[in-house]
Amino acid sequence: MEPSELERFEAIVLPHLDAAYTLARYLTRDDHDAQDIVQDAYLRALKYFGGFRGGGADGSDGRAWLLAIVRNTAYTWRRRHRADALVTEFDEEQHSDAVAEHHPAAALERDAAREALHRELDRLPAEFREVIVLRELEGLSYKEIGDVTGVPIGTVMSRLSRARRRLQEALSAGEKGRVT
Amino acid sequence: MTHRELELQLDAYLDGELAPGDARELETHLKQCGECARVHEARVALSAAIREQIPALHASDELRGRVRAALRNVAGGSASRRVLPPIAGRWLALAASLAVVALGSWRLALSRAGEDALAGQVLASHVRSLMPGHLTDVVSSDQHTVKPWFNGRLDFSPPVYDFAGRGFPLIGGRLDYVGARSVAALVYGRRQHLINVLLWPASQGSVGGSLTVATRQGYHLLRWTTPEYAYWVVSDLGMAELHDFAQLVQQADSAATMPAAARALP
Repeated sequence: MEPSELERFEAIVLPHLDAAYTLARYLTRDDHDAQDIVQDAYLRALKYFGGFRGGGADGSDGRAWLLAIVRNTAYTWRRRHRADALVTEFDEEQHSDAVAEHHPAAALERDAAREALHRELDRLPAEFREVIVLRELEGLSYKEIGDVTGVPIGTVMSRLSRARRRLQEALSAGEKGRVT
Repeated sequence: MTHRELELQLDAYLDGELAPGDARELETHLKQCGECARVHEARVALSAAIREQIPALHASDELRGRVRAALRNVAGGSASRRVLPPIAGRWLALAASLAVVALGSWRLALSRAGEDALAGQVLASHVRSLMPGHLTDVVSSDQHTVKPWFNGRLDFSPPVYDFAGRGFPLIGGRLDYVGARSVAALVYGRRQHLINVLLWPASQGSVGGSLTVATRQGYHLLRWTTPEYAYWVVSDLGMAELHDFAQLVQQADSAATMPAAARALP
């Protein structure tokens, strides 16, 4: 590959590293798995870069394109390494509230709503979790989310709505449990 | 229409994805139906809670380095570098995750009390601007209309850029009062989201500072200084996009302050 082509790739795709890591991290719920997946996804992206027609006037900046690759990598990777781990239900021991345990100040300020929200997000099936991350954290449009996840816009819409309803129930349960 | 269908529409409405005609119908319905209005309120609260409590993450420098090294290796660049062996990578990853734990939450920075108070005022300005009729004093997508409007209203002439070509159209400007002085507020749009840029002249001798971020009540605040101006950017937009926006402003700023010969605007 020409060095200038690598530079072009880096200029277009590297700025989305945070988004790539965020998606991988929330999909896998594991930091080093997420890092491995991101690295793998970037290598794949480089391989397919010739087919990428973005970075132009249509406003496509390579983010959705990259995130689709990250997502596919995460699903393939998980299928290979840990069968069906992406859709395992929440495991109390595996996904305990590590932040609060390791951080006394955070433990003191621990907020029932926050815990409930995090727990419920982790519990969501991956296809719901990913639409929440793509929409709420990354600000993608329905069209872009459809491009990343490979489903029609109508499906994006209903998945988002169902995911939100579940989170909302968790949130209001947390609020009820909060000591004031 | 069933309640479930209405809930779907409501989500699309809040995401700015509902067709204008349907949106108007839904707005009318929300005024009449207490139950839907309650769902609407709860959804707004949920969205704010998610943005505040579920952080968008940053890739560590270690991961950035790993990815670049791997890319260079594969691309066969002359300066091919060694990819970290898996064990070292794991340890570094562990260290990075502990660092994340130590941070506890994404609400970093803004440690100084003065900064904190200022952040509160900036946020208040943003929230106030979202109330009906408070957004703009001058409505124009033309930077050459907005910039001169500040003449005689402020003791400085704020740089005004339009990023419509990058998906952040200029909407207008207004006067505001923050940090015990009159400031310029510029309003930009991104889909259904609004971005407020507040700026005022930097204190004497400022050399400029790097970008810091904070999240409050579901809004993201970005702040930086240039030798000339103190900048605050606030919005409910996702952090990643807001970062992109801040970069556009910074690039436009540095291009504008460069000598004319070296100027290379996009």
